[in-house]
Amino acid sequence: MADLLTKPEGDAPEGEAIIATPLWRIRLRLFRRSFARNWKIFAQNKMGLAGLAIIVLFGLMAIAHPIFMATIWDGHEEGGKNVYDPRAGADAVIVEKTVVPDGEITDPTTQIGQTEAALQGTGLVIPEVGTVMTAPLANPAPPVISGVPHPHWLGTDPFGGDILSQLLFGARAAFALGFTAAISSVLIATAVGTVAAYYGGVIDTLLMRLVDLMILIPALPLLIVISGFWDLDLIKLGIVIGVTSGLGGTAIILKSQALSVKVRPFIDAARVAGGSDFRIVLQHITPNVLPLSFLYMMFGVTAAIFIEASLSFLGLLAIDQSWGIMINIAHTQGYTLQGLQVWWLMIPAGASVTLFSAGFFMVARAMDEVVNPRLRAR
Amino acid sequence: MWKFIAKRVGQMIVLFYIFLALLFVLLDLQPGDISQQFVGNPDIPPEAKQLMIDQLGLDEPKHIQLFNHLKNYSTFNMGASWSQYPRDVSDILFSALPRTIYLFLTATILAYILGFWTGKIVAWKRNTATEKAVMGTSIFLWTVFYPWFAILMLWFFAAYLDWFPVGKFVTLNFESRPDLVNSISDVLFRTSGSEAASGWTSSAAPGANDVFMLLFTSLIVGTIAFFGIRWIVKRQVKDPTTQARLFTGGTVLVFGGFVLYWITNEYGPWAFDIFWHSVIPVMTLTLVSYAGTTLLTRTSMIETLKEDYILTARAKGVPDVTIRDRHSARNAMLPVTTSLVLALATVIGGGIITEQIFSWPGIGQTYLAALSSEDIPLTMGALALIGILALIAHLVADILYAYLDPRIRVQG
Amino acid sequence: MTQVVEIESRGGRAGTTLLEVDHVVMNYTTKEGDVSAVEDVTFDLKNGESLGLVGESGCGKTSMALSLLRLLPDNGEIRQGRILLDGEDLVELSEEAMRQRRWRDVSMVFQGAMNSWNPVYTVGDQIREALRLHWPTTLTYTEETERIAALFEMVGLNSAMIERYPHEFSGGMRQRAVIAMALSCNPKLIIADEPTTALDVIVQDQILKELKEVQAELGMSIIYISHDIAVIAEVTDRIGVMYAGKLVELGDTLEVFHRPRHPYAYLLLGSTPSITGPRRKLSPLEGEPPNLLDPPKGCRFHPRCPFASDRCKSEEPPMTDIGGGHEVACFHWEEVPEIRELSK
Ligand SMILES: Nc1ncnc2c1ncn2[C@@H]1O[C@H](COP(=O)(O)OP(=O)(O)OP(=O)(O)O)[C@@H](O)[C@H]1O
Ligand SMILES: [Mg+2]
Repeated sequence: MADLLTKPEGDAPEGEAIIATPLWRIRLRLFRRSFARNWKIFAQNKMGLAGLAIIVLFGLMAIAHPIFMATIWDGHEEGGKNVYDPRAGADAVIVEKTVVPDGEITDPTTQIGQTEAALQGTGLVIPEVGTVMTAPLANPAPPVISGVPHPHWLGTDPFGGDILSQLLFGARAAFALGFTAAISSVLIATAVGTVAAYYGGVIDTLLMRLVDLMILIPALPLLIVISGFWDLDLIKLGIVIGVTSGLGGTAIILKSQALSVKVRPFIDAARVAGGSDFRIVLQHITPNVLPLSFLYMMFGVTAAIFIEASLSFLGLLAIDQSWGIMINIAHTQGYTLQGLQVWWLMIPAGASVTLFSAGFFMVARAMDEVVNPRLRAR
Repeated sequence: MWKFIAKRVGQMIVLFYIFLALLFVLLDLQPGDISQQFVGNPDIPPEAKQLMIDQLGLDEPKHIQLFNHLKNYSTFNMGASWSQYPRDVSDILFSALPRTIYLFLTATILAYILGFWTGKIVAWKRNTATEKAVMGTSIFLWTVFYPWFAILMLWFFAAYLDWFPVGKFVTLNFESRPDLVNSISDVLFRTSGSEAASGWTSSAAPGANDVFMLLFTSLIVGTIAFFGIRWIVKRQVKDPTTQARLFTGGTVLVFGGFVLYWITNEYGPWAFDIFWHSVIPVMTLTLVSYAGTTLLTRTSMIETLKEDYILTARAKGVPDVTIRDRHSARNAMLPVTTSLVLALATVIGGGIITEQIFSWPGIGQTYLAALSSEDIPLTMGALALIGILALIAHLVADILYAYLDPRIRVQG
Repeated sequence: MTQVVEIESRGGRAGTTLLEVDHVVMNYTTKEGDVSAVEDVTFDLKNGESLGLVGESGCGKTSMALSLLRLLPDNGEIRQGRILLDGEDLVELSEEAMRQRRWRDVSMVFQGAMNSWNPVYTVGDQIREALRLHWPTTLTYTEETERIAALFEMVGLNSAMIERYPHEFSGGMRQRAVIAMALSCNPKLIIADEPTTALDVIVQDQILKELKEVQAELGMSIIYISHDIAVIAEVTDRIGVMYAGKLVELGDTLEVFHRPRHPYAYLLLGSTPSITGPRRKLSPLEGEPPNLLDPPKGCRFHPRCPFASDRCKSEEPPMTDIGGGHEVACFHWEEVPEIRELSK
């Protein structure tokens, strides 16, 4: 310290030059450098890259939905509603069917019994066997690519809603929910962690007991009752999930990280320089726990999607459309045991929830290896 | 160790009360007080309302209400159910409890044993095709959307392969599944066909719950006997060969005794029917937590394999398999046991969904049914019970950890 | 019975050759390239003799020791050379045959032996494991316990500690117990890799003395490894100095300690304060040890050597006997001044 103060005059310009660069620039440069370095490590991990590819794919799906609605799905109105609307759209797909004698139907999607054919028509003339006529395809309809007024590339659900549209819309919902939950979870966890670490004492004890409780009580049952008692939409649900999971294990990990930052010399320096508690926490501790926070955000997305889909599946949420609701509809409408016969009802939605969570999980694991070097393979 | 356990129990009790208080807050945040919600319910006589107001002290200040709430719940006095009036909430819950414990314990124990075994083997054989396959499967099972997976399991095993019954707890009438009676019961049990074929609905049939309780008790006794024998042998017998012999003998004894008991028991076919219904739910729940244990064990094994004492063991000329099992895996067990706690939330959540999808009449199903019929006392009671179960499970994991780690066990 | 408890040497007649290390080359394969951790090392060891290996951190001492037991990590490989134990080449042995030799013929006390104990088993059980694997006959539980008690006594531990867990031992006690375990199967050779580094000077001294007494009693051979030449000079018959994977000097302890002929050994000894000799200021060892991924051509020491000539940069000096079994790998050994008088 002493020789710093009695620095020879000649050194001054150099010192000024350093100060002249604004702090945020330096931070940005440091950030960019460490980002480049970390990206290199990350890119070595095939699993992480695969996860990233999955996330990008879902991102494209989410973007595709409004574009499709505005282009190829535009103007397909029926009864004043667009049949492709992911929430309220319904369509009875009209296809050409061959009339066969009653009770001799081998394939209901291409054949129709004589009696039913008569009802479909005017009801007066019984059509002859062999005539080809247009008739609604049963719902849920299998994928129809062309030859009908409103093609459904992935078929329709039991109510005639377009599966593809619901699926793409579901990606939007998943991102919205995942990010709301992850961000609020990390905000809470970072806040709780840094505050507990910085202040210690009673505040620390109180916060940590609450955290203990949140870890001990499984989230799903608690959220079931919360969503049973209150009507939650996506954003509110995201926040509730975020708060409950943010108060859990993440807070403890971020706290220990913050503790290790707290004892570093620059915090003391900041305190001596007269920084207020709030400023110190915000400016010095928080940036240092951010990489870890980001990691837990990734894990948070996985958890949130999972919970949302489970709650939707149980029919407890007041949201319009999501992958969970798609599965719920198939299940409650009694298609569970038909399995792969109606594969388009369950497989796309279920696979989407799984893949979406897996994508974030894989990225998070790969990031974990960046943040915790000891996990790295030789 | 006793000091440690006492401390943990104390902490758990405190946490339990905080949890109960949290439930009270949840209830209190609802619009109106509980007695108003309940007015609209036609099944309940109006005089019950006054009873409830008195019991819960709804006209008293909040802190008295909270106190009453805590007092009532700690004595399992959780009032009457609204949807099944006038049955007691605690009565409903306690009859559902063993079924949940059965599902949960079987799945957890199986998952822990199998997952640990797989994890340790793949960690030992790194960079092989087996490792890649196991890792892929585990990550899939760990990330798969559980309800969806459960539905697919139900479809595949019950509908497509038609090996197991579809959901529910018992086959209402054996005659509807003659194949079950003829192929399985007749082969396995001495019971004559006619007796078995009369099914659960006949007057000769025992109560499903009684049979289940018998099955449940015998399983618990069997498990305790199995681990008890191992524990005693380990403490009393020092010679390794005698030890191994006694282990095998004990296993055969317990397993044989269990099978013999059920073969000679007249409830055999019924118990088997219940068991048969539990296969897919248990398997589904097991698979998911199995994947978690496998992933955890692998990571933990890889860590322990870097430890100095592994090098010492190799220098001592200890055979590879012994190094893996006795040295590395035994230590890897410690972090896995701790992390079991984190997996617990998944298993409990999964348990609720499992019960719902497979119509398994446990706490989870009761809970969801109560919620959808707006039976608030039953909902709250079920949630409190789930909380207690979670706390107890944590406590068991803690004690297990303390037992496994001499640094805690010996120090006290 | 007595045969079990009695701790006797299985070492051959004193003075005959036990171990011959013959031009051993050991490399680690890494992403950046091959690390040449042991390069063309040759030495031998007689029954009942003790040899010290010294050198800076990272010069390959542990790698040498691990090569002797073939305990290298997956990326380490003995590329060349022979390691003859009682005339049998260990490099050629099958993995199973090697496993049976370990501890029975050659045991090891590891660097940082404090962590050598598995935390979940009692110390007694861990020694028992070695006995069960390598003792020629099957012992009963009581016989095992008796033998462990005798070992404990020998290294100055209370036999009541047998059933205790490692965490209940102090650092020094753990170290003693490790030595007891190394002695448990009467090996012909013990490799002690920095057996006392983590301990305070007094305990360090005690343990080394005890080891020396045990060795005198049982007549086994010991290889001591240390970065501190002064510590092991008191307990070894001969000393080898390693630098950057190579053995650069080998000779009788007194010779090497008082009249080092290799410039590196000279500087290394200069940086070790002598308690007995007069204090004098020596030119310190400057620079960093070389990167073993890409060691210098010629003599590996030449970049740091005050005596280096052009020849040193291109030609590798071979180990040459300069008389009395004192070998040096240096072209300029005659120019190296004497640092201590042979007064001891
Ligand atoms: N598993 C490994 N993979 C790659 N390089 C290694 C490995 N183990 C050791 N090395 C390298 O081999 C060289 C010799 O290491 P070694 O552990 O034998 O040194 P040492 O002389 O025992 O040092 P110290 O006195 O610090 O124990 C070092 O440069 C080290 O970086
Ligand atoms: Mg070393």
